[in-house]
Parts: sequence; C-alpha cells; structure tokens
Amino acid sequence: MRIIRNYIYCNYDEYCIMKKTKLGEFEELVLLTVAALQEEAYGVEIKRELEKRLKEKLSVGSIQSALKRMEEKGFLTSEFGEATQKRGGKRKRIYTATPYAHRVLAEMKEIRAQLWNSIPKLAHELKTI
Amino acid sequence: MNDIKPPKWPLNMLRFFVKEKYLEEIEGDMEEVFRENLEEFSPGKARRMYAWEMLRLLRPVLIKNFEVIENLNHSAMFRNYFKVSLRGLMKNPMNSFINVFGLAAAIGICVFAYAFARWTYSTDQFHQHRNSVFLVTFSADRDGAAQQYGQTPRPLGEMLRNDFTNIEKVCRVEDRSVIIKYDDKVFHERVRYTDPEFLEMFTFPLKWGTPTSLEDVNSIILSENMSVKYFGDENPLGKNILVKFDQNNSKAFKITGVAQEFPKARTIQFDFLINFENLRTSEPGYDFHDWDKFVNATLVQLKDPSDISALEKGMDKYRKLQNQAVHEDWAISSFAFEPLATLHKRSEYIRDDISRSSADNYSSIVYLTFVGGFLLVLACFNYINIAIVSAAKRLKEIGVRKSIGATRKVVIVQFLSENMVITSFALIMGVLLAMTIFIPGFERLFNFNMDFRLNHPSLWVYLTAILVFTSIASGMYPSVYISKFQVVGILKGSVKFGKKNPLTKIFLGFQLVLACVFIITAVMFTQNSIYMLNRSWGYDPEEILYTPVADQAAYEQLHAAMAQIPDVLSVSGSQDHVGKNHGTTVLHFPNREYEVEHFSVDANYFNTMGLELKTGRIFEDHEGSDQRAVVVNELLVENMGWQNPLGQQFRIDSVEYEVVGVLKDFHSYSFFTPLKPTIFTVSAKEDFRFLSMRVRNGSENEMFKTLQAKWSELFPEVPFEGGHQEDVWGFYYEEIKIHGLVWRIFALIAITVAGLGLYGLITLNVAGRAKEFSIRKVLGAGLRNIAANITNQYAVLLAIALILGAPAGHLLSKVIIETAYTYHMSIDFTAATTAVVILTLVLITTASTQVIKVFNASPAEGLKTE
Repeated sequence: MRIIRNYIYCNYDEYCIMKKTKLGEFEELVLLTVAALQEEAYGVEIKRELEKRLKEKLSVGSIQSALKRMEEKGFLTSEFGEATQKRGGKRKRIYTATPYAHRVLAEMKEIRAQLWNSIPKLAHELKTI
Repeated sequence: MNDIKPPKWPLNMLRFFVKEKYLEEIEGDMEEVFRENLEEFSPGKARRMYAWEMLRLLRPVLIKNFEVIENLNHSAMFRNYFKVSLRGLMKNPMNSFINVFGLAAAIGICVFAYAFARWTYSTDQFHQHRNSVFLVTFSADRDGAAQQYGQTPRPLGEMLRNDFTNIEKVCRVEDRSVIIKYDDKVFHERVRYTDPEFLEMFTFPLKWGTPTSLEDVNSIILSENMSVKYFGDENPLGKNILVKFDQNNSKAFKITGVAQEFPKARTIQFDFLINFENLRTSEPGYDFHDWDKFVNATLVQLKDPSDISALEKGMDKYRKLQNQAVHEDWAISSFAFEPLATLHKRSEYIRDDISRSSADNYSSIVYLTFVGGFLLVLACFNYINIAIVSAAKRLKEIGVRKSIGATRKVVIVQFLSENMVITSFALIMGVLLAMTIFIPGFERLFNFNMDFRLNHPSLWVYLTAILVFTSIASGMYPSVYISKFQVVGILKGSVKFGKKNPLTKIFLGFQLVLACVFIITAVMFTQNSIYMLNRSWGYDPEEILYTPVADQAAYEQLHAAMAQIPDVLSVSGSQDHVGKNHGTTVLHFPNREYEVEHFSVDANYFNTMGLELKTGRIFEDHEGSDQRAVVVNELLVENMGWQNPLGQQFRIDSVEYEVVGVLKDFHSYSFFTPLKPTIFTVSAKEDFRFLSMRVRNGSENEMFKTLQAKWSELFPEVPFEGGHQEDVWGFYYEEIKIHGLVWRIFALIAITVAGLGLYGLITLNVAGRAKEFSIRKVLGAGLRNIAANITNQYAVLLAIALILGAPAGHLLSKVIIETAYTYHMSIDFTAATTAVVILTLVLITTASTQVIKVFNASPAEGLKTE
C-alpha cells in the first residue's frame, strides 16, 4: 500500500510558519481516522480502524507517537474519557481534530484533487506529441 | 481469562521511560491490546507481543527527557569545556605536568601489568586440542603426603591405546641428551623420542615438511631455532644429520620437517623430534614392557573430554599391575589426568613433568596489579588535591557560569569532562610510556617477548575501564565539592577554600601513607635482593670447575691430564654433582619411609667442593672403603629428630647403611628452591659422570681454558660441556639483580609521584597565601617564621602519615617477602627508616624551594596580586 507523498503544501506560507506544522503521510491518515471516529477516537480504536482499512498491523507506539506529535503541532486536542474493565481500570483519552486540522486536511484534499485533474491532460498532451 | 496478566518487566520499563502524563492512557491502551490478543493467540504469544509492543513504544516523543541525554546533545558546550581545559592545562604547565605525568606513569604500569597478565593467561592456549589432550600422571605417598608425578610407567601408553575406545590418540615422550653433528657443527642437544601423534595432539605447525613424516623411523623434525642454528636461513629438508646417542651408537637421520617459530607463551616445546621406535636401536636395553621403568610423559587425546572421569575410574587395574611390578617404595596410589589447557598452572605441583611451571608468572601478576593499582590511587589523590586547591583560582569562572544559568549538575559535568580530557592525555602518554619504556625494558631485562599489540579488543576495554575509573575516581569529589558553592558567595569573594578543607588534608595524609607503604616495600625488596646476592651457598663455588664426562675411561684420561697441573689443588669424580644432577632415594626406617636427594661421590668430593663437615667424618679414600656409609646434611638430621645422628641406620633397597658424618646445609640449587634432606654415598668408579676440581684462587679462568684445551685434545668429537661452579645456577644472579632493579624503579616512580603531589600542593598553597606572606614580611617576619608557617601543617600531616604508614608498610612487605622467597633476609626496620627519611627529605626539599621563593619575592608584588 503506497500513499502519495505531499511535499507541496509547504509552499503555502501559513503552513510554513513553523517547521513543525508539517503533516506527515502517516499522521495525515491518523488525523483522518480521528476525524472519522468522532467521540470513539481513542488510541486502540484508531489503531483498529486503521489496521482494518490499511490491511496491515500497526504498533501502539506508532499510533501514540503520531497522536502526540500532532497534539503538539495543534492538529489535535484530547481529554480523558471513561475507564473500562478491559483497560485494567485505566481511562481512555479521546482525541478530537481541531478546526485548524480540518482546514489543513481540506486544503490537502484540494491540492490532491487539482493534481489528479491535471494527470489526464498531461497524458493526453504527451500522446499528441 | 482475567487471571492472565501481562508480563511485569515491560510495564516497569514503560513506567520508567515514558512521560508521566501519557502513562495512564498508554498503559490502558496496552492492556486493551493485550486482552484482544489473548482472544486470538496463546497467552505466551500474547505476552511476547506485549513485550515487543512495549519496546516499540520507546520513541523520542513519548519518553521522558533525561537530563544527561539532553546534556550530551550540547556539543557546543562540550567544545567549550574542552577549550577551557586545554587553556587550563597551558596556564599551569607545572600542575598539568604533575597531574598528567603522575597519572601517565601509573597508567603505564597498569598497561604493562595488563600486557603481562594477557601474556601469562595465553600460555599454551594456542594448542587447538588443549581441552581434549591430557597428561597422564600418578600420585604416590611420600612420607605421609601425596605427591603427583608427571612420568608414567612405560607400557601404560600402549595399553591405554588398546583398552579404551574413547581415547583417540596416545603419544609417549622420552627426552635424551645426544650429540648432533652436521658438517663441522657439533653440539650437545636434547632429542625427544615421540609417537607421530605428537604433532597432531600439540599444535606446532611446520614451516617446511609434513608432520606425518615422523612415522618413518629415519626422519627427524627440527624446531625453527635448531634449523637456524645448523643451517641458517636455508631450507634443510632432505639433508642428513648425524645423531650420536652414545659413544659407540649413532645414526643418520633425514630432515623431513622444520617447525614454525613457537608462540612466545609456551611451556612445552622441542628441539628435535624422532620416532619413539628409535629407542629400540639407540638403547638396546630399553624394555617397552617394563612396569618398573618410566617414560618421561604419556599424553592422551579423547574424542570427548567429558569422558575423562570415566577414564580415571578405569585406571585402577593399571595401578594394580604397576604395584605388582615395582618395588614397594614406589607403590602408587592413583592415576590422574591433567588437561593441557591448565597444565602450566598445575605444573608447579607435579614432579618431573614435561611442562614448565608458570606459577611465578601468576604471582607476578598479583604484584604488578598491586603496584599498578597503588600508583593509580596515588596519582588520583594527587589529582584530587591539586584540583581542589587550584579551583580557588577558578572560582570566578564557576561563579560566572552559575549566574549565567549553569546548574550544579552542569558544573559537575564540566569538571568531570575536563578531567576526562586530562585523563585521556595521561592515558595516551601512559600507553606510550608502556610501549616505549616499560614493556621493552622488562622484555630486555628478562629476555622474553610478551607479544604486546594494540589491536587486542580486550586491551581497549581495559583502557576504557581505566579511563572511566580514573576520571570518575579523581574527578568526582573535586567537582561535587567545587560546584556546591553559592554564586553570591563566590562573586562577593567571601568563599575561601582549599586551605581550610579538612578533606584535602585527609587526602594528602592518605597519599603520604600510601607512598610510605610503597617505598618500604620497594626498599625491602631491594635489600632482599642484595642479601640474596651475598647469601652463602654453604660451600665456596668460586674456585671450582666441573665437567660432565662420558664414562670411567674418559674420567681417568681427563683426571690424569689435569691432576699434574700445579694450579689444580684437588680433583674428584662423582656420579652426581651439586647444582647439576642428583638422584632420588627412599630411606627405610623400621617405622617410616623417607625420600631424600642422593649424591654418589668419591671420597675427595667434599674437600674439592668445600662442603663443610659438622660432626663425624667424611669417606675414607681407599679401594672398597665405606660401601655402607652415608654422609647426611643437617636438615635430614633435624627432620628425623636425631639427637645423636652418628651411627643411625636405615635401609636403601635392601642394603643397610649407617650415618658416619653430618655436613652443614648447602644449597644445591638456587635460593628459590627449598633445601632438601640429602645423603651422600660412595660411588663406584665405573659410575663416574662428573669431574670436579678445585683450583688455586685467581687461576680459575686460566684453568678453565686449560680444561677446555685438554678436553678437545682428548675428545675432539665431543663438545665440551663443563663450566664454573658459580654458573650452575644459570641466570639466577642476573635474575636477582633484575628483581632489585625492578623494585628500585617502582620505588623511584612512587617517590616521584608522591613528591610531585606534595610539590604541587605546597606551591598552590603558597601561591594562594601570597598576600598573607607579604603582610607578614612587611611586619618583619624572618626566614624562620615564614618557613615555619609554610611547613608546619605539612609537617604535622607527614608525622601522622608516617606513624600510620611505617608500621603498615613494614608488616605488609614482611608478609609479601615471606611468601615470595623461600629464603630471605631477616627483616629489620631499615626499610621503614629509609622511607621515613626519604619522605621527610622530599617534604623539606619541596617546602624549602617555596620558602626561598617567598623569601626572595618583593612584598609589594605580593600585595598587588588578586
């Protein structure tokens, strides 16, 4: 499974104020999952969801570090949820995507869409040469 | 299901590493994942997965900020520390020299100790089959104590080969003296008769030729040294050399192999190897099946070394065979096997084995470790003292660093890293010292090569350990101490330290105690080596010459030729000779068996050798006299507890003997070898193998040349083997001199290190008190007052140190000397006195240089200093 790399958005000044605001490819996937899961978005659930979609095993460490990094960059906020027996009495931490994250995601989708749109045209031109 | 718990250790690790605020969430997640996995996999697998997940959680984002780790990232800061420490070194060249040189000398000795230990531990380890090759030994009861012997009954080797399936190879070894002749080169040599397996069991690769050629009875294999001795660099394969077994028996052998140079650390070697079967021709009387006779060594190689205990149990039948055959004196109690890998260590306790003992080397390692460790500790104390005192000058720097925001930890790290820099310098210097002075020096002194190389991985581990130990041991206290001061105090100038710190004094005191102990040890060893040089042998070896002779005829020819020379005072013949050769005999008493050294001599021997009689008489000089008489030494009388030794009787074999005289004790071998109870009996003329003679004082060298000349006139075919009696102990005297020299060097280093420390400390102290002394001078203090002021506190300290150190050193060195030397000087207090005098002199000298400096300095200058 390959995901297209996003180098482009750094051309937009507002994302480049600080280097940290970069969104990695894996982070983007996690972020999207958080957004999709709504109030169910906590560590293991995110992992489960992503594993199902990507059809590959992920480690707790990779999910957790992505979440923490994005929280530091301001893409996510979080608060403690309820504790369950299954978790040995430990509380969950529910993540929510910030409006800023939504905006970045939307823009990236936009950029991708634009790029996709330009592909057939290029291919067509190439053919005509 | 609920009772299956995740493993504990990963959780603990997690709690230690992961940031506090993330812990609850992550722990919960992990638990949940674990439960999920349990449904799918076995508990074991779930646990393993849990642990693996935990390890993968160790990511920079998730784990705590460990301060040290953070500090290590500050490379710029460390560059600054490095620069500052270099500047510090340059600013105080004298102190830096003291620190670096003292440490370097100590590290040099440590590196040397390492090299020596490595060399010793590698002894014989180059043999590929060292763990599966065993020497067959037996134990016998000797006057109540079990003694292990390295020889074996002759038929045993063959029987072992046939009787045990788990024995893979067997080889017998028999060493003989022969004469080897090639062209005009004729020398006495030792050949080793052995089975062809010898070269398979021992790892002695050949430079030229094939090892299997030893199967041919006409082949001979040479060592590298022998090849060079007879043929130079030329390849001698295929050449014939003549081996003369005795006067009328010789055989030409074809050279079919030359061994590569033997590794340096070895205790078993050979000069010439020939097939064991040659004994049939060279010694027609040699009976391979005689249980009563011994072969020098029998070695076995097992398929599986762990079978050895089973093998040992199976040896009992041979013990019975052996004890039926031999005289009851030589009855043995058991057979045992000694692995080749550890033979060199055990060799000390095995009599007549083919290996050399390396026990001396192991005790030398202990001494060297002691010396190295001692010097290192001494140097560390120097460093600590100087660091604390010189930090006074760096107070401002510390103050500024602290006020800019350096925490105490940062200052400690700074000092430790500076110390690391200095220690690294010392380490480099130390390794250089060891490589250029210590190791080559020792190698030259003892004439061996310990094959020291820088590319041994363990050396680097060792050096790193020294570096870390030394930097932390010497740097920890000063850095903790210095960093503790408050910024305000420092910058206001209200912090005064160094002079007033009681610990500095304790350190210096301890350092002086160490130096004192060390000097005493060194002086005592030096004294002892002088004593050993002058100790009496119990007879006078100076005017005696000796030479081995082939047989009675040769003895009589040589006797006739020498006896007529006026400078020759007396000539005697003997079967054994003091310092060269003796027999071992068991004396039978009605209730006791007692083993002694046995010399068979003629009546003249005592006078010729100058052996002194204590009571009784020596042998009478006429044909057939005193056949049943023995002369014994004092030790035997003492051990037997005889009040009246003359007339005491015992049996040797079945013959009754009677004591007619008692000799004063004498040393037949060097002072390292304990005296043995000894007897002398009359030797039959046909057994004479030595001729010894006393010559007129002053004519020894001339007579030696005459003896040599007569020899080559009479026996042109046989190389001359005689010598001065003084030389029979070989390199003994040189060795003793070397011991003395080595200890003198150690003492010198110890004194230097202690002296440097003292000098550094006094200098710094005086420099710190420049103002005080200037004021004293302005107010009219004279030389005496200033001297007293500088010296007083150190004098008190030195006195205390000496009171503690002198008795401690005295006792310690006494213990060491008593264990190291069988015969040593009577220990007195001169060493302790010497140490006291030396240390006092060092203190006076160092103090006086400073006193003079202060006295000559202008007070105005002193007052201007900050």
